[in-house]
Amino acid sequence: MSESVEIVEKKPIPSEATMIIGLPDVGLVGLIATSYLISELKLEEISYMDSDLLPPVVVLHKGLPHAPLRIYGNQNLIAVISELAVPVPAIYPIMREIVDWGQAKKVKRIVSIGGIPVESRQTITEPKVFGAASNQELLDMLSKRGLSIMNEGYIVGPQALSMRYSLSKKMSAIALLAQSFYNYPDPEAAAMVLKEFSRIFEIKVDVSKLLEKGEEIRLKARDIMKRTQQEMNRMKKSQEYDLPLYV
Amino acid sequence: MSEKREKLSTFDMMEKYLEEIEALADEFMASAFSEGPSWNTETCCLQALSNVFITSREVIVTADLPNIEPETVKVEAVDENLIEITAKMKKKVRFADLGIYHRQGEFSFLRCQGRVHVAFDAEKMKISCKGGILEVRFPRKK
Repeated sequence: MSESVEIVEKKPIPSEATMIIGLPDVGLVGLIATSYLISELKLEEISYMDSDLLPPVVVLHKGLPHAPLRIYGNQNLIAVISELAVPVPAIYPIMREIVDWGQAKKVKRIVSIGGIPVESRQTITEPKVFGAASNQELLDMLSKRGLSIMNEGYIVGPQALSMRYSLSKKMSAIALLAQSFYNYPDPEAAAMVLKEFSRIFEIKVDVSKLLEKGEEIRLKARDIMKRTQQEMNRMKKSQEYDLPLYV
Repeated sequence: MSEKREKLSTFDMMEKYLEEIEALADEFMASAFSEGPSWNTETCCLQALSNVFITSREVIVTADLPNIEPETVKVEAVDENLIEITAKMKKKVRFADLGIYHRQGEFSFLRCQGRVHVAFDAEKMKISCKGGILEVRFPRKK
């Protein structure tokens, strides 16, 4: 366990599962996609995260309190979401704890879902999804399954840390990133990334309801998007627009 | 007393210019993120997310306007530094529609304001709206 973060288990945790991480980030792509996946596959809440580094918040759903950072699952999948924009100082210990916990639970792989900010997003009808992976074998697998690879570039934030910590523990980690708006909620990008996830890992997910509910989601997500943008500015998320130099 | 003039290279000037822009952007972000609800039951408005970009030639304002009737979009320069965007929603949204039952109120409009710190020509704005994403371009005044 990290010094300041604890994952409290409520139910038995499956081993050999795929762990998906969808924390609030660019276009809220990861959060929208993962929470839709949770409701479509009717995953159960199996754990939650407790930390003094998080604001003193509970989220009420159907009148009952829930921790904003929760973990859902079934026999094959574990899904991590946050209904709170994770404060920058908390991101490091939280991601470290998630990866450590995943290793302890013998997860098969960690899949971080998110967005890549694209300036001309409103001109793109079908956002493209790109992949990155913690090792060549995984990258080849993604490539063989027809996913475009993000060859060069920066990843900033939770996906970057999940990749970094997984790498240091020799765990398999993948990032699936859809072209998206930077600070407008992007359900279409979330649907595209879920389609790819479904195709690559052969887990059936119908995204039609997500696309139908797009406008409603955009209205509901305004507040968390605003708070997420504040955190993205703090972590210099806009560095994802930069071109890396490696000669 | 003779005034000592600072000699700056082109790069220093550019850096200074960028720092100024960054300071203005921080100021804008602080005003955009002031605490408070993102709705107003008196004016029946939900606050829309928006961005202001300033290039050497243009001021570009974008706004996320889901569930609106595009023909009702109004863009107005409230004063020389403030742009206001309003649009009527296709159907009224109540708190209950958003799953909130402990508040009452319904909303018919999306609204946002963007502060701009450079002079722009409001008469020559160009508006486009695709998939509920509004983009307004104003030429900068010289």
